[in-house]
Amino acid sequence: MWDYLVDRRGLIAFQAVQHVSLVVQCVVLATGIAIGVAVLSYRSPRISGLANGLSAIGLTIPSFALLGLLLAPFGFGITPAVIAVVFYASLPILRNAVVGLAGVDQSLVESARGIGMSRLATLVRVELPLAWPVVLAGVRVSTQMVMGIAAVAAYVLGPGLGSLIFSGLSRLGGANALNATLVGTIAIVLLALVLDVVLVLVGRLTTSKGIRV
Amino acid sequence: MTAPMPAGAQAYPETETDDPQAAVQTRSRARSASGRGGWRGLLVQPVLIAAGTLAFVLWRATAELSDTETRQLGWSALGRNIVDHLQLTLVAGVLVLAIGIPLGVLLTRGPFRRATPLVLAVANTGQAAPAIGLFVLLATWLGFGFGFRSAVVALVLYTVLPVLRNTMVGLEGVDARLVEAGRGMGMSALAVLFRVELPLAVPVMLAGVRTALVLLVGTATLATFISGGGLGLLITTGVNLSLDALLVSGAVLVALLALAVDWVGRVIEHLARPKGL
Repeated sequence: MWDYLVDRRGLIAFQAVQHVSLVVQCVVLATGIAIGVAVLSYRSPRISGLANGLSAIGLTIPSFALLGLLLAPFGFGITPAVIAVVFYASLPILRNAVVGLAGVDQSLVESARGIGMSRLATLVRVELPLAWPVVLAGVRVSTQMVMGIAAVAAYVLGPGLGSLIFSGLSRLGGANALNATLVGTIAIVLLALVLDVVLVLVGRLTTSKGIRV
Repeated sequence: MTAPMPAGAQAYPETETDDPQAAVQTRSRARSASGRGGWRGLLVQPVLIAAGTLAFVLWRATAELSDTETRQLGWSALGRNIVDHLQLTLVAGVLVLAIGIPLGVLLTRGPFRRATPLVLAVANTGQAAPAIGLFVLLATWLGFGFGFRSAVVALVLYTVLPVLRNTMVGLEGVDARLVEAGRGMGMSALAVLFRVELPLAVPVMLAGVRTALVLLVGTATLATFISGGGLGLLITTGVNLSLDALLVSGAVLVALLALAVDWVGRVIEHLARPKGL
């Protein structure tokens, strides 16, 4: 096991970086999409109800099934992996962004409008900063979830540590097959923990001073 | 319908939390949402599922398929895969309930209470563990071998966490004064557990059970990698032979099955909620 780690440290480090980079980029993209959709929908209870329903239904769709569906039009490679990961990552964030924005005290919004802030300025300088901790909680949930989903994405030849797990499976009984699977699995759990700690720090740094606990 | 997801909660809807701020929001939102969304929300989903199933059946009856595809998608082969899949889900589901709920109750009693934060932290971390790694490791490393048995063990390990977590969170969330009141009335600790704490925790616990069941249906697709059978077999066969019809059929059927299981869970949640809540 130790020898394997030392011998393959280059490959393992490369896959780890690929995995984290896939997850981080997709989560950033998903955060943008989710906040955008939430901003468009949170004022109308009907549309935000629809958004929440879609997010609930989306989360019941098995990730392996979605990857399979994406294989037909997009073929193997990074495209289906990125689409699937962004899809799953955006659902919890969307849900939290809608709830966070809807939970902003209306009297504060009114005050902002009263002192002459435009609709957009109110959104950017009052509502979004107040909703941010709730949105960020969604980002943490998403990140933990897609770390695992990104591993399955290796089946459609997406990048990342999942390829170690699958190569271990396909070379079963061969030298280092078990080591590859073990390293891939443990590395994903460890990296998920590291990312979670990073997100907590990001939360400390980006939460507006007035509402920081 | 609109509870925010706190960091570390299972990433599925309606998982209640111990975070007071989120809980307040949950309550105020839930009141406005439950009145309208309740039954209507429950009716939309089966309509969608029925429409999806009908579309699949129509497509299957009319599509022009190659020999291989016809054989794999024949009603008997298809039926066997679906039955396999349901068998995996049901056996693992029963085990998850039988392990998760008593363990959750035990871990919130007396001396074990101190371990609660630790168990919750582990349960949260476990969510990031890749299910596929768990399957392969169980089958190869821990000597469970390939097939149904190790698939069930992997599924149980992977999905027991939401049930355990929600049982503990639900029981922790019961107002301590109510427990005290029960004890003050002369109820035994066991009676308080069964007649006060568990009924009050039921909504949160059922949300965890539904989450677990949906996860089970989805994760059972991976059983095919260790010869566990199920609908994942259609997907992998489709990929290996590059037959899109098989691939898409497998994916669509699993998604429909997951939605159906989710709906059954919602109906049970709706019916089993104690009247007083």
